[in-house]
Amino acid sequence: MKNRIEEIRNAKGIRQEELAKKLGVSRQTISSLENGRYNPSILLAHKIAALFGMTIEEVFIFEEE
Amino acid sequence: MYYNNKKLALSIFWVILGAALLGLSAAGVLDSNAYGGMGGALMAVGALQIARNLKYRNDPAYREKIDTEANDERNRFLRMKSWAWAGYTVVLVEGIGSIVAMAMGERTVQLVLAYSVCLLIAAYWIAYLILSRKY
Repeated sequence: MKNRIEEIRNAKGIRQEELAKKLGVSRQTISSLENGRYNPSILLAHKIAALFGMTIEEVFIFEEE
Repeated sequence: MYYNNKKLALSIFWVILGAALLGLSAAGVLDSNAYGGMGGALMAVGALQIARNLKYRNDPAYREKIDTEANDERNRFLRMKSWAWAGYTVVLVEGIGSIVAMAMGERTVQLVLAYSVCLLIAAYWIAYLILSRKY
């Protein structure tokens, strides 16, 4: 699953550390999410989308495997 | 809250148990040196945990770091995956070890390893059954 976290985060001028703190996760988790190495739970995906003021579909791009 | 009173009490228990083992070993009540070593190790682990527990209570930055690490979902995922890999490795190593022991004529070792593999597989299936009812 691809995502636009890095793009949206940069557009909003938020650092990885700040985003991690707001979401209650580690900075490494944000880095892994942005690199596509880790797919978040639906709960975390919802938190991220809500924090950006967007829908999950706007942040995460679902792809058929 | 990662470190709580229950964990502090457990750490104190490890220190007391370790001191008792060390004392009994030094007094010659327990004849093996291994008990002394085990006691020392338990005391060290308990003391370290107590120190961490106290730091957690008194240092808000450390508390936040520990809580984030404990609740971070990627960390939880990594911990689960690591246990799974460790389990696979143990089953494989013991399985191969059992075959090697059989070839070497080490009947007792072969049986211990084979039963250990069976126990692990049984534990896996029991855990699977319990978890499939829960989720």
